[in-house]
Amino acid sequence: MAETLFYLLSIGAIACGAGVIRARMPLFSVLCLLGAFFCLSGIYLLAGFQFLAVTQLLVYAGAIMVLFLFVIMLLNLGDENEIARQSGIALSGKQLAVAGTSAGVFALIGVLTAGYGIAPVETASTRASGIDELQTLAVELFSRYMLPFEAASLLLLLTMIGVIAIAKRQRAGEPTHTGAGFPWTKEPLDEESTL
Amino acid sequence: MNVPTEHLLALAAILFSLGVLGFLTRKNLIIVLASIELMLNAANLTFVAGSRAWAAEGVTGGSPLQGPIFSLFVILVAAAEAAVGLALIIALYRLKQSVALDSAGELKG
Repeated sequence: MAETLFYLLSIGAIACGAGVIRARMPLFSVLCLLGAFFCLSGIYLLAGFQFLAVTQLLVYAGAIMVLFLFVIMLLNLGDENEIARQSGIALSGKQLAVAGTSAGVFALIGVLTAGYGIAPVETASTRASGIDELQTLAVELFSRYMLPFEAASLLLLLTMIGVIAIAKRQRAGEPTHTGAGFPWTKEPLDEESTL
Repeated sequence: MNVPTEHLLALAAILFSLGVLGFLTRKNLIIVLASIELMLNAANLTFVAGSRAWAAEGVTGGSPLQGPIFSLFVILVAAAEAAVGLALIIALYRLKQSVALDSAGELKG
C-alpha cells in the first residue's frame, strides 16, 4: 500500500514539475510548485523522515510559497499580455488542473497522516518513534554540525539585511546608492546628460 | 515502504531535469526561480534516498540522519536564495517594469 502511495505521489510530483515549467502564467507555475512540494513531503513521510517532511511543509509550502505569491501579487504579474493570448476556456481548464492537483495532494496527505504516517526508518540501530528521530537529529545538529548551523544562522541574518538593502524603495530626494552602481541602471547616465 | 533506491533516485533525476529545462527555456524570472526551487528539491530527494539506503544497509561510520540534516541546510539555503532572488526581481521590475529575462541583457556584452 505504501508503495502504491509512493508511486502515486511520484506521478503527482512529476506532473506538478511539468506544470511548473509549462504554465504560461507565473501564478499557475508557482501553484504547481506548491503541489510538487506537497508530493515530496508525502514521499519524505513515507521514507520515514518525519521532521524533514514537516520542515518541507513549513518552510517551502509555508514561507517560500508565501514569498512567491506575495511578489506575484505585488508586481501584479497576472495581467501581462500572456492572458490576452489565452482563451477563457483554456484559462479555466488550467485553473481546474491546478485545483485538482491541489485537492488530490491534500487528500493524499490526509491519507498519509491518518494511516501510514508513522513509519520510521528501518535502521540497524532501532529508533522506534519519530520523537526519538528528532532527538537524535538535534543532538547531531548541535554537536557534529555545530559550525554549519552557526554559519547558517549568519547566512540568514545577512540575507535579511541584503534583501532589505536590495528591495528598499528610493525616495525621490535621496541620492540613489542602491541601484546607481548597477550597470543596467539608466538614471546616472541621464543625470549626467542633463547636467 | 519497500521501494528500491533507484526509483527514488530516478524521481529526483526527473525532477532535476524538469528544473533544468524550465531554467533554460523560460523567460519569466519568477518561473526561472521556481525551476531553481524544483532542482533544489530534487537534490533534497537525492540526500533522502542516500540516507535511506545507508540506513537499510546498516552502514557504520555515518549516521542515517546525515541526509535529513543536509536537506535541512539545503532548505535553509533555498529560503535565503528565494528571498534574495525575489528582492532582485522587485528591484529589476522597478527599473524595467518587466520581469522578462530579455529585459536585463546589458551585461551580455
